[in-house]
Amino acid sequence: MQNKVVRNLRDQASVLGSLVVGVVVWQVIVDYGIIPSFLLPAPTEIVAAIFSSRVNWWANIFATLREAIAGFVLGTALGLLLAVAVTASGIVRKIVMPYIVAIQVLPMVAIAPIIYILVGFNDLSRIILTSLLSFFPVVVGTATGLADVDVNLVYLLKSLGASESLIFYKVRLPNSLPHLFVSLRIAITGATVGAIVAEFVSSNIGLGFLMTTALTSFNIDLTYAAGFILTVIGLLLYGLVEGVGRASMPWFRRR
Amino acid sequence: MADLVSLKDVSKSYTAITGEVVEAIRGVSFDMHEREVLTLVGPSGCGKSTILRLIAGVEKPSSGSIERRAAEGKFVVGYIFQDSSLMRWRTVYGNIKLPMEILGKKGAEAKIPELVKLINLEGFEKAYPIELSGGMQRRVAVARALVHDPSVLLMDEPFTGVDEITKEILQTELNFVIRSLKMTGVLVTHDIEEAVYLGDRVLVLSAHPGRIVEEITVDLPEIREPVIKTEGRFTRYTKEIREKLNLLHPLRLSRRPTDAPA
Repeated sequence: MQNKVVRNLRDQASVLGSLVVGVVVWQVIVDYGIIPSFLLPAPTEIVAAIFSSRVNWWANIFATLREAIAGFVLGTALGLLLAVAVTASGIVRKIVMPYIVAIQVLPMVAIAPIIYILVGFNDLSRIILTSLLSFFPVVVGTATGLADVDVNLVYLLKSLGASESLIFYKVRLPNSLPHLFVSLRIAITGATVGAIVAEFVSSNIGLGFLMTTALTSFNIDLTYAAGFILTVIGLLLYGLVEGVGRASMPWFRRR
Repeated sequence: MADLVSLKDVSKSYTAITGEVVEAIRGVSFDMHEREVLTLVGPSGCGKSTILRLIAGVEKPSSGSIERRAAEGKFVVGYIFQDSSLMRWRTVYGNIKLPMEILGKKGAEAKIPELVKLINLEGFEKAYPIELSGGMQRRVAVARALVHDPSVLLMDEPFTGVDEITKEILQTELNFVIRSLKMTGVLVTHDIEEAVYLGDRVLVLSAHPGRIVEEITVDLPEIREPVIKTEGRFTRYTKEIREKLNLLHPLRLSRRPTDAPA
C-alpha cells in the first residue's frame, strides 16, 4: 500500500517536473529571441493575457463546454445504440457501417455548412457537429467489446438456459466496458475539437470564436490564451472520463 | 445406476469458413451412468469438445439422438473449460454465484462459503480473477460448475496449460470433490494419465471424424492419490490406451530429422 502511494507520488512528480521543464525551456527560447514573441508568446505573456484582457472567460468557457458535453452525450448515446444494432444483426451492420464510415471520413469543415443550412445557425447545429466527432469511436469500440467475448462464457450461459438478452446483459455488456471507456476517452477529445471547429465556422461566443476573432485582429497573446484554456479543459474532461472508467472497472484497474 | 445421458449414433458436421463441410464426430454412441466419471480421450481435433457441447445442449447433433435425464428435478449441467473462462469483472464470489442467478435459484448463496472452503479459497471471496494464480482460477471454475448441484459435470480439458505440479494437485482435489459430492461427470482430455486417474470408464476416440474405438473400464479405488500413477495396474491402463491410439508404434513422419537414428 505504502509502495503504491510512493509510486503514485513519483509518477505525479515526474509528470509535473517534465511540465515545469517544458515551460521554462519555452520561456527561455522566447526571452532570448530564438523565436519572436509575435509568433510564439512566452508563457508569462499568455498568463498575463488571460488576466489583463477584458474577455468574459467564464461565458466563453461555458459556451464551449456546453457544446462539447452535449455533443459528447448525444454522440455517445447514438454510438451505443448503433453498436448494439450492428452487433445484434449482420444485415444492420452491412447496411449501416458504410454510412458511419462515410460520415467519419468527410472533413468536418465540409459537413458543417450542410448542417448549418439544414438545422440553422444555432446551438443545435454545433452540438450535432460535435456529436459527429464523438460517435464513431464509440460505435467501433463498443461493437468490438460486445462481439469479442469469451465464447465459453456464452456456452456456459446457454447451457444454463439463458436467453440472448440475458447473455447480452451478463456477458457482452460488462465485457465491452474497457473498450467503451477507451472509446469515450477518444470521443471526449473529439467532442472538444468538434465544439471548437463548429465555433470557427459559425458562432458569436465560445473559445473557438474567441480564437478566430483574436487571430484576425493579430492578438496573438489572446489566441494562445484561449488555446491554453482549451487545452486545460480538454485535459480535465479526459481525466474525468478516465476517472469514471477506473471507478466503474476496479477489476481492470488492478491489472 | 440409471443412465443420465444416452447418445445414440450421433454425428455432427460444421460448415467451415471456406464453405467446406467438416465432420467432427461420426456415429458416436454411449451411455453415462449415474455417479460415474466418464473420460473421453483422443487426439486433437477428434471432436471431444463437440461431444460436451452436444451433451450441454448448446449445439444440436446433425444426426442421431441425445437423451438427458436428471436423477432429481431438471437436467442441468456444470461446465468447466480449458482456460477457466471466469468473468474478469466479477469477484470469486460473484463468479461462483453466476449459475444460480441464471437459474433463478434464490437463497442458494448459503452454499457458496462451504464450496469456497472445499476448494481451498477461503479469504479470496472478494478477489478478482486477475489477482489469482492459474491454479486458483481453475478452483473457482470448479466451484462455479458445482454450486447449482448439476446433474452432470462437463470438464473440457480443465487443466490444460497448468504446470505439472499444480496439475497433479488439482486433479487430486477434483477427484476428491467429485467423489465426495457423488457427482456424475464427463472429462475430455488428451492427457492419457489424467483420463485414467479421474475416470471410471475411458472412451478412446479416433482422429477426426471422432469415433469411439475402445471402451476401457478403470477398476481403481474412487478416492485416488498421485502415488497410484506409479502402480502397475495404472500403467497397464495407460499402455492399453496408448496402444489404441497407435502411440506405441514408430510414428510415420513425413520428414525425419537428419540426425534421427535409422
